Amino acid sequence: MTAPTVRFTDERLANGLRLIIAEDHLAPVVAVCIWYAVGSKNEVPGKTGFAHLFEHVMFQGSRHVAKTEHMGLVQAAGGTLNGTTWLDRTNYFETMPSHQLELALWLEADRMATLLDALNQENLDNQRDVVKNEKRSSYDNRPYGQWFHKLQEHLFPPEHPYHHPTIGSMEDLDAASLEDVASFFRTYYAPNNAVLAIVGDADPGQARAWVERYFGEIAPNPKIPPLGNMSLLPTLGGESREVIEDRVPLPRHYFGFRAPCFGDPRLDALEVAAQILAGGKGSRLYRRLVREERIAQDVAFFALGLVGGASIAAGQATVRPGVDPDVVERAFEEELERMGREPVTDDELARARALIETYELEALQRVDERADRLAMLATLLDDPDLINRQLARYLAVTPADIRAVAAEVFRPDNRVVLTYLPETGPATQGEHEEPAA
Amino acid sequence: MTLEEILAARPSPGEPRAYSFPSFERTVLPSGLQVLAVHVPGRPLVSANLIFRIGAADEPADLAGVTVLAARAMTEGTERYPGLELIEAAERLGSTLHADASWDAFAASVEVAASRLRAALELLDELMERPTFPAEEVLRLRDERLNDLLQMHAEPRRRVEQAFSQTIYTADSPYSRLAGGNESTVERLTRDELAAIHRAVLSPDRAALVVGGDLTGLDVPRIAEEALGSLALGAMRASGRPSAPVAGHAPTADPAVDRPIVRLYDRPGAVQSEVRIGHVGLSRRVSDFHAVQVMSAILGGLFNSRLQLNLREDKGYTYGVGAGFDMRRGAGPFGVRTAVQTAATVPAISEALKELHRMRDTLVTDAELAVARAYMVGVFPLRFETPGAVVGAIGGLFVNDLPDDELARYRGLVEAVTAQDVRKAAQDHIHPDRLAIVLVGDADVLGKDLEAAGFGDLEVIREELPGEVDEPGSHGDGE
Repeated sequence: MTAPTVRFTDERLANGLRLIIAEDHLAPVVAVCIWYAVGSKNEVPGKTGFAHLFEHVMFQGSRHVAKTEHMGLVQAAGGTLNGTTWLDRTNYFETMPSHQLELALWLEADRMATLLDALNQENLDNQRDVVKNEKRSSYDNRPYGQWFHKLQEHLFPPEHPYHHPTIGSMEDLDAASLEDVASFFRTYYAPNNAVLAIVGDADPGQARAWVERYFGEIAPNPKIPPLGNMSLLPTLGGESREVIEDRVPLPRHYFGFRAPCFGDPRLDALEVAAQILAGGKGSRLYRRLVREERIAQDVAFFALGLVGGASIAAGQATVRPGVDPDVVERAFEEELERMGREPVTDDELARARALIETYELEALQRVDERADRLAMLATLLDDPDLINRQLARYLAVTPADIRAVAAEVFRPDNRVVLTYLPETGPATQGEHEEPAA
Repeated sequence: MTLEEILAARPSPGEPRAYSFPSFERTVLPSGLQVLAVHVPGRPLVSANLIFRIGAADEPADLAGVTVLAARAMTEGTERYPGLELIEAAERLGSTLHADASWDAFAASVEVAASRLRAALELLDELMERPTFPAEEVLRLRDERLNDLLQMHAEPRRRVEQAFSQTIYTADSPYSRLAGGNESTVERLTRDELAAIHRAVLSPDRAALVVGGDLTGLDVPRIAEEALGSLALGAMRASGRPSAPVAGHAPTADPAVDRPIVRLYDRPGAVQSEVRIGHVGLSRRVSDFHAVQVMSAILGGLFNSRLQLNLREDKGYTYGVGAGFDMRRGAGPFGVRTAVQTAATVPAISEALKELHRMRDTLVTDAELAVARAYMVGVFPLRFETPGAVVGAIGGLFVNDLPDDELARYRGLVEAVTAQDVRKAAQDHIHPDRLAIVLVGDADVLGKDLEAAGFGDLEVIREELPGEVDEPGSHGDGE
């Protein structure tokens, strides 16, 4: 079984908008995905959470689209949609029945061209409240909820843009003004800072004509401020640890490491290593910690590719009741370090490759996933064709590659260990910090 | 034209491409096993799901949790592949074996390249027919389940779901508990009980194998017969008798609540309240299914549902709110689900109740009806882009005993729903006079206001949160 090649065109409009089109008529479905090269890494101190708050504002209407109408029009057309914000980027996407492609393009163009016409204090205040509730739901009112934010703090120095969480702080969200939001839009939401991918049941000539029509006249911003230097030492230079008491019944360790950047072949090797370490019941960590020694309730390990200085490799293990958390930590770390000393077996590698091949094929079946990857690879690596080479790169990873990257990454002096412990003493009554909003 | 002129003109849609839900072919093997094969051209990954129409709702109350645990334990080793060898064999095919049980079904599935379908089905057969349920591994899985229940108590959004089910159903309904069972029964389960429930499940005359993907050149019934033909024998050999009769009755699902009530589970200091509002709902076989679905979409399913527009886009109380019917073979729950900032809890509940009443009292607008119907009709082909989704939907028809053309008829039936149908569905199936409001939140902050709001009789439950805990069930009963 071989992965079907994704054939696509890749061009730029005169205003700098990068347009990628891939035709596929299997299902009567088309995906539109637009990536803006702006994420929480572009935020400055005192204004954290802006990129994400702004993503919400993008659904509050533009000159020709009323508040909530974006969602309404797409759903009434039988489409699905959303937007997400991450450290390196913000993306917006619609998957539509194919005869509704033009609607999705018009909606994206209208907000890229005229968003500020609809921006007002009422909408901003409303979405600020929604985002604060998102923060409460996703992080604050959830056991272990701050683990990733803590990893960011430990892995990246305070002056580095990956140091702060994408969701931002309550104080900064409260301080966001209309002018801040408008200036963020003028700076980053320009066609020359975006990649538009269209994948699926579309006629490329027609799709291109619509894109020219709706986006072609939107003015670029010639002065998008470059990011500062994000380079980092490849390793942390010393272990960093924190113990957190939380309202959790079981202790849990989170592990974090600086890892090679997204696009670096060493990250491919690390992803294969992650599969061998924790990808399912046949994996090393599961086998040893969960099944054989029975010291952990669950284990996980994965790599999160980032482009600004270092990626994050992260893992977790929940400690079984009555087990010394130190024992779990040692066993977890031993397995990681063993990866850097001994080659993986041929059978382990063969199983990992077979599974990765299936995962890739599974993911690339869908037009929305293909659109997302093409836009991602163009935005972050200027290499959308990597979509057709990525699987071969995974399959080419050797035991020596895995050992080398594991030896580089899984070093004690490159390690963050967060340990969540159940709160001791009575439940904390009256420590209610959130004022009535 | 200027940019303004261009953007001022809204585009109109083109001609929709014809679409129909892929048709499937049914073959009944000599054992009674039904094989449902669906050809989805151009999809080299094939999805296969072996489903038995029996689930956690059918197990005895004193063994609650045994069906889910038995399904999960099947991958722990078989006669031919002890220990992890079964998992490893599947991984060599590039495949992960999944086995799980829900309220209504006991199922195992794989996703695999079409060329390896036969080998994958042989593993499914091995898994389903000859699991050994090693006592040590069963004990571990049982303890993992108990630990997970501990974790659940600490997680407000999971805790509130459990409390909601427990509140709205009578104790003799299986739906009053979790499908995976609660502490009191799970901690007593043994490997022999798992093996017995597995034998009881394993009757080919209640089973279907659903296979979907690009099946060009594959004779699926023949491959299924060769790989799974002996399924009945496994059950008979294991139990020494023919397998139990086909289940398929609807379980007891009686409402425990006959007036509005409020139950608040205290979480001192919680920054949000998890809220569920509802009552016993409907079975999947309800006669006005499509009207109910349109009504639910308008109330709390669409992004711009009435609840979302009110609680999120107007008031900013929440990141999201939804409502709907979880339809099972028996009457599953109807509920409004949200998490709201603590200070907004009482007003958020008031607004949600208003929306429930409005749904019954007035007709939806033409625009609301048009959006809901158009969404459900239009999104239908998107939902079934991949074989996995197609196979899952056909499996759902089998489990719920629905006609083969149910999905082919879906879009026409949705198109035909009227505003009157929607109001009737709301009047028939939403009951404000017996709503249970269940919350996990800060009782010191909320208690008085909830009392004063008069939503219903208030009960505050101050439960001990598990802190440092001992290993549950760690009394060394390995056998």
